[in-house]
Amino acid sequence: MHNFLQIKHINKTFNPGKEIEVVALSDVSLDIGQGGFVVLSGPSGSGKTTLLNIVGGLDAATSGEVTLDGQRLTGLSEFELSKVRRDHIGFVFQAYNLIPVLSARENIEYVMRLQGKSSQKCNERSQALARRLGIDTLLSKLPNQLSGGQQQRVAVARAVAATPKLILADEPTANLDSNAAESLMDMMQRLNQEEGVTIIFSSHDPLVIGKAKRSIVLKDGEVTADDRVC
Amino acid sequence: MFRLSGKIAWASLTRRGARSILVVLMISVSLWGLLFMEGISDGMIEQMVSNAIRSDSGHLSLFAEGYHLDPDLSRQVTDVEAIDDFLENDKRVLSYVKRIKQDGLVATAHYSRGTKIYGIEPEEEKQHGGLDGYLFRGKFDFGPLQRGAIIGFKLADKLQVRIGSKIILSAQDRYMEVSSVSLKVTGILKTNNMAIDENAVFVASKKARQLLAVDKDVSQIAVILHDEGQAPRLQSDLQQKFPNLEILRWDELYPALLQSRMMMENFNLITSLLIFCIAALGIFGVMLVSVLERLREFGIMMAIGTRFRQIGNIILVESFFLGFFGFGLGALIGGGTLYYFKIYGLDLSIFSDAFNEFGMDAVTHAIIRPSYFFTALAAVIMATFLSVLIPLWLLRKAKPIETISKI
Repeated sequence: MHNFLQIKHINKTFNPGKEIEVVALSDVSLDIGQGGFVVLSGPSGSGKTTLLNIVGGLDAATSGEVTLDGQRLTGLSEFELSKVRRDHIGFVFQAYNLIPVLSARENIEYVMRLQGKSSQKCNERSQALARRLGIDTLLSKLPNQLSGGQQQRVAVARAVAATPKLILADEPTANLDSNAAESLMDMMQRLNQEEGVTIIFSSHDPLVIGKAKRSIVLKDGEVTADDRVC
Repeated sequence: MFRLSGKIAWASLTRRGARSILVVLMISVSLWGLLFMEGISDGMIEQMVSNAIRSDSGHLSLFAEGYHLDPDLSRQVTDVEAIDDFLENDKRVLSYVKRIKQDGLVATAHYSRGTKIYGIEPEEEKQHGGLDGYLFRGKFDFGPLQRGAIIGFKLADKLQVRIGSKIILSAQDRYMEVSSVSLKVTGILKTNNMAIDENAVFVASKKARQLLAVDKDVSQIAVILHDEGQAPRLQSDLQQKFPNLEILRWDELYPALLQSRMMMENFNLITSLLIFCIAALGIFGVMLVSVLERLREFGIMMAIGTRFRQIGNIILVESFFLGFFGFGLGALIGGGTLYYFKIYGLDLSIFSDAFNEFGMDAVTHAIIRPSYFFTALAAVIMATFLSVLIPLWLLRKAKPIETISKI
């Protein structure tokens, strides 16, 4: 596995120079190979979400550099970052964050449609993914007609649909019961193996952490442990 | 993607159905008001203009030089045959009539008033401006001996005469002698042209010539054209051909009417601006609340790769939906209302005394012009554009990470 994602000396300080200055990340450096299934764990406030936001191009580091598959994300404009997010990164949100007025199918196909893929391609892909994720009977439903677990599956399908290089998931199981959480993690594991997509997720649920191939522990904005499971 | 944007926009509007319907109604009611005001006010003015054209000025009036400022029998149009020849052969001319006009005095046994004597050919006037259509009482005829007179209804009121009443018409003839004739009122006209209603006494052309000792000359030749727009060109052509004539358009003879028309145009413009503001504020309010409510939703869309421009399109489409439905409904109701009043007229007879004072018809027939709808559409389109600028600016400032606390 080559160094698909390189995080070099990332620092992030909120409200720098002010009284309420908060150091969220301090000199974080990580190399993550392609096809990785990596969990970021650590207590609340340890910097997991901030790191995911920076890696996903949603937030800028105070200093340091992020390179995704050879492309330097640091310093890109919002327009360029938007293109990177659309074409190379899939997101799974803790609160599912589906587009409420679109059906499950339209949510899954949304990013593909942004990419300008044909209706036929979008339909085939969404149908295939839905079947794999066990939500093929729910495609015509709106998000508010689905359970939390079902919504999160749709969110995963949306993240995977456009065949991104990297999926970032911030506490994807936080709002799910243990059965739904395990099922979701199994599913993500399968996607990781079958689609070869790199998945980085944050969690402090031991059950979820146990599924990861690599576990990175953050505390007070610093990496305190980095364990690889062979 | 455009279909998806349209779907998101449409779904967002239907999700907030009551609010959307309220804005659509607000726009359409405002538009209905605008169209109604424009159609009725233009109808009023155009009726006044039409009354003046039909009963007196035509689109163009030909006088002897200086007659208009100093109407005197010494200033008459003399080259009548050449003018006849020109007007009969000009395709722009629909009809024309020749009149003898002179200031005089009309008297009964009890009252007397200054008057304007019109010597006319009744049949020609019927064909020309349909003057008989303004007949209020009696008949549009001077009788077999042409001893009849048709007078304006306000003058009749002041003189307290009715059909069959005897009047004495006196005037200075071309030899400066005072001459009189006794006539019977055969008809009373109500043209809502105050110059006619308050002052005019129409007599047979032959009788007027006898009274004023005028042979073939005429005081005024009134010309009605197929198209009012051709009036300035024909005026110029006539002026070139007959340099000794004074040729005036209706708006030069009745400048107050032109001013009323211009005033009404300005009034319509101001009303359009008001409608534009109402529509813009309505859409702005809805779009602002809609965007603020959905900042998180838009943030998520941006986070997963939607560009700001694409979200801007969704917001614009929403705004256009509101504008177009509001316009469509307003145009339908407004157009329908104007059509009804165009056919049946808006009857304000209970205020007829007040309308008469201003020379207006108590029954106003609305006018429908395509320009009303184009102006309104342009106003609504502008309103929809402008109303989303601030919501878009707010959205532009918001970063995805700030709208969604966590990915």
